[in-house]
Amino acid sequence: MRATLRQAGRATLQLVISAAMAFGSYIFVTVLLITAILTVTVVGAFMLPETVLLIRRIAGAKRQQAGAWTGRKIPEAYQPLNGTVRERLRTAVRDPSTLTDFRWMVAYYAYGALPVLMLPLWPLGLVVDGVWCGLVRREAVVLPLISRLADLDAEWSTALLKPSPKAQLAVRVEELVQTRAGAIAAHGAELRRIERDLHDGTQARLVSLSMRIGLAKRAYDQDPAAARRMLDEAQTLAEEALTDLRHVVRAIHPPILTDRGLVGAVRALAASSALGVAVTVDGLTDGHDGPRAPAAVEAAAYFVIAESLTNAAKYSGADRAEVHLARARTGLRVQVRDEGRGGAGGPSQAIGSGGEAGGSGLLGMQRRVAALDGSVTVTSPVGGPTVIEVELPCVW
Amino acid sequence: MRVVIAEDNALLREGLVLLLTSAGHEVVAVAGSGPEVLPALLEHRPDVAVLDVRMPPGFRDEGLRAALEAREKIPGLPVLVLSQYVEESYAAELLGVGASGVGYLLKDRIGRVDEFLDALDRVAAGGTALDPEVVTELLTRRRNSPLDSLTPREREVLKLMAEGHDNTTIAKTLVVTERAVSKHIGNVFLKLSLPPSDSGHRRVLAVLAYLQNV
Repeated sequence: MRATLRQAGRATLQLVISAAMAFGSYIFVTVLLITAILTVTVVGAFMLPETVLLIRRIAGAKRQQAGAWTGRKIPEAYQPLNGTVRERLRTAVRDPSTLTDFRWMVAYYAYGALPVLMLPLWPLGLVVDGVWCGLVRREAVVLPLISRLADLDAEWSTALLKPSPKAQLAVRVEELVQTRAGAIAAHGAELRRIERDLHDGTQARLVSLSMRIGLAKRAYDQDPAAARRMLDEAQTLAEEALTDLRHVVRAIHPPILTDRGLVGAVRALAASSALGVAVTVDGLTDGHDGPRAPAAVEAAAYFVIAESLTNAAKYSGADRAEVHLARARTGLRVQVRDEGRGGAGGPSQAIGSGGEAGGSGLLGMQRRVAALDGSVTVTSPVGGPTVIEVELPCVW
Repeated sequence: MRVVIAEDNALLREGLVLLLTSAGHEVVAVAGSGPEVLPALLEHRPDVAVLDVRMPPGFRDEGLRAALEAREKIPGLPVLVLSQYVEESYAAELLGVGASGVGYLLKDRIGRVDEFLDALDRVAAGGTALDPEVVTELLTRRRNSPLDSLTPREREVLKLMAEGHDNTTIAKTLVVTERAVSKHIGNVFLKLSLPPSDSGHRRVLAVLAYLQNV
């Protein structure tokens, strides 16, 4: 009986909130009607996006309340309202979720009255169930109905507030447009960086080298000693240009990836790390047989692991680290973990600050991964452990 | 010396042939792809083989694999492996099948002709020639190891020793006397607790084994 009462109590609270919300939305729908009428005149056009935002907030609150009762989260799929008034207006009207919300609100006019049914149920329940349970020792029948009422309220809300597949698709498209723009921007930045490296390093050295050879040719007859010095310098410049080029190539696509594949390359990385690194692999194979992720994905994964291991060796104080590579349905998952002192990066502090331990490295890592529509998660509480997780979407 | 060259890039291949013949060596065969390497080596049994790591058909590490295979088939065959970039793990693989008569150098080093020919001689004579970049990687990777207790000069000596140089060359490079070099080497071996060893190739092997296992 006590459990039944407690459950009925919780349902009552749920229904009271629901009733309050229903009351709020009665008032709001009235406001809405006024806005709708005003929209026909020009004045309301400015108000409409704001009204839609308000509806979203109310619907959001109802989603949360209903979701909390059923334990199933109700997803949202809103298109962001931004830009000029005209754009906001267009998005507000075209977003399929606006219609969904509006439909719910009208329906709520009716089923918002549901909590009222609970008023007679309480006294009835206390009397009937008091006798039924207390004297006859049977299961309560009336009080659980209050819970059923709350269930009904939540079920209907879920059905009505669930975004249509069309709305979910629209939101996904919007997301993809954003990430694709980000990817293109990051790709452009990468190309410019490579161009600058080649221009400032390799090209400049080759020009200077060619100049030295020209000078050596002129000095060849009159001043052999000077000619020899020029040739020495020319050789040094050629070697520097080669070293530059090697660095540029490594940054674009580490050659060992081509030679050994991602797993082989990561094992080589682990072997040459200052830490004792254990590499575990799930769904990938060593060598060239078996599935391979696209070259850009492999390169990004390699870069992230190299950077993470370097940071761990420099700052974490740990002497062991673990690298896990896994092939997932949606792409490649990478995890690097060390049991060091933690406090690296973190979502707010070191990423971007550059001055913090490994901050600039983490930033470069994020850029590189973002360019492929991937994500980096750094968890590094003070005291450790530091876990860097990377998801790189790809088809393979 | 009789040399077999495996290099797919025609420009570099011709350059190598020119360089080696002008130094008085005989190039007995050239291989332009991975599968050609082993038959050429088995047929000619050269004094030393010069191999490029990346070759057709896969353009991966065919040359390195051929070198490892050749040393299994012809034990003690001196091989000098050249590459556009050096990878510590490749050096470990090469040294894993015995460090005598093994060389692993960046292609850049060919430009320093005398040093390159010297390295080739060393490898052909059963010595070691390891690229300075690999040695640097080996020396810098571990923290809190006995390597930290070495003085800068001792580190220099150790580095040159690991690259495969003998006392005379080390003394010349560092502009010190051979006696001083011997003293530094003695200290290095003491600090790393390696058993004292004669000045021969076994010493290099001990050093390399140590560096790989730190």
